[in-house]
Amino acid sequence: MSELFLQQIINGLSIGSVYALMAVGYSLVYSIMNFSNFAHGGVIMIGAYIGYFSLTFLKVPFFIAFVLSAFGSGILAVVMEKIVYRPLRKRNAPFLYFIISAMGASIFLENVVIASPIGPTFRSYPTVFSSEPIMLGSVALGRIDLLMFVISAISLMVLVYIIEKTKIGLSIRATSYSIKGSTLMGVNVDKVIFIIFVLGGLLAGLAGMLFGMRYTVYPQIGNITTKSFIAAVFGGLGSLPGAVIGSVLLGLIETMVSGYLSSQYRDLIAFALLILVLVVKPTGLMGKTTEDKA
Amino acid sequence: MLKINNLSVFYGGIHALKGVSLNVEQGQIVSIIGSNGAGKSTLINSISGIVKYKEGEIFYKGEKLSKQAHKIVKSGICQVPEGRIIFANLTVMENLRMGSFLRSDTNGIDKDLNRIFDLFPILKEREKQVAGTLSGGEQQMLAMGRGLMSNPDLILLDEPSLGLAPLLINTIFDIIIEINNMGKTILLVEQNAFKALSIADYAYVLEQGIITMEGNANELIKNEKIKEAYLGKKNVDFISV
Repeated sequence: MSELFLQQIINGLSIGSVYALMAVGYSLVYSIMNFSNFAHGGVIMIGAYIGYFSLTFLKVPFFIAFVLSAFGSGILAVVMEKIVYRPLRKRNAPFLYFIISAMGASIFLENVVIASPIGPTFRSYPTVFSSEPIMLGSVALGRIDLLMFVISAISLMVLVYIIEKTKIGLSIRATSYSIKGSTLMGVNVDKVIFIIFVLGGLLAGLAGMLFGMRYTVYPQIGNITTKSFIAAVFGGLGSLPGAVIGSVLLGLIETMVSGYLSSQYRDLIAFALLILVLVVKPTGLMGKTTEDKA
Repeated sequence: MLKINNLSVFYGGIHALKGVSLNVEQGQIVSIIGSNGAGKSTLINSISGIVKYKEGEIFYKGEKLSKQAHKIVKSGICQVPEGRIIFANLTVMENLRMGSFLRSDTNGIDKDLNRIFDLFPILKEREKQVAGTLSGGEQQMLAMGRGLMSNPDLILLDEPSLGLAPLLINTIFDIIIEINNMGKTILLVEQNAFKALSIADYAYVLEQGIITMEGNANELIKNEKIKEAYLGKKNVDFISV
């Protein structure tokens, strides 16, 4: 195996794992509420800014900044649900209204930041890690890339544990199959929705700060969620394993194309593959399929 | 145990229930019969808090029943819904665990689980199987088992015989009697009027949102009007044999 290949695998895994952090937020919301929460990008953007100001203004230690941006985004996600989606839910609005409101919320968040003293400028995170890579033989392992991968992998494992092994997770899975069914079991669906927004928001905050560190922070950084949304569709909307697999695959494809062809073709080929998958299997790789016989 | 006074439900402009009153005594099996669209499921769903009603009152154990679904389950009423609505993406065991979602008495949950496996041995066999792969009859049993897992005092059964083969229907009705013998009060909604009347203590006839007839089930089953509308002449001959 060539070194370039190994190098691209490492890069692909690290970028793909952060896509996954964002994509699971889309999938969690989609699995219960059947719409794509396009305001998720705004939550990620705010997370990136919270991390930035925690380090530069509050000058807190690095890990505290992570905790602050995760919690800040978690709270923001819940507040948005309460203000933007809950009134629609109470009126049983069609899902199109949810999507339009989500887009509106996303534009709103972006412009609030631009209009505020923060403004539209690009800001660079202070250097926390040296940019000197860790060398494994002749393969370079970027410190921030490594951090991206480790934090994403741990967060996703915790998420999978919550979904698969806890009572709350069981109620989330049941509600994703049938809201009426789980309501009849005594599940408070408002509470389940609260929890998925908290989980999605926490992960969005982490992803925002990781992207901010890797690149820069700016009001449109949330647009990067287009990629994770694509990844979530690729893997199958509503499926958490699908979101993770789709994200990692997308990350790998992107870095392979950039490494072997040209980064100009990166999006072209990634999106072409997406279309191909959807033509062959419209529900995505692991989309919500009903196993109901009746 | 359950007392409904003058319940009215509207769906937009449609008046689905028009002042329904009924009474369920502790330990009884009470059946509500009626044709498609009579408002049977609306009635059941109003009790469960899924459908909101504007007029009327529901009392349970002498107190006004909450309108919030999860509080209703907590107070000891569970519904086994029409079409079963088992969680097809979860295993049989996880479905049963969902039934006991609001409970935290581990010992009681385990005891009820064993009772349900005694009642439905097939569920024990298929414990780890994804529920969507069960047959229709097995799904109905799972839905009933899942309902029992909340340790309810009152069980609302909505069309338990729907889509099942005749032999299976007999099995399901035998089990309903067995559940009743466990001390559970049952409110049964059925299109299969003969079956529903034959196991019930008391029954109501619901037509277009109105209770048109009520009485002891063994009297209603002999009533000429009911024979004509719901049982059919051939069935009646069959009963008298």
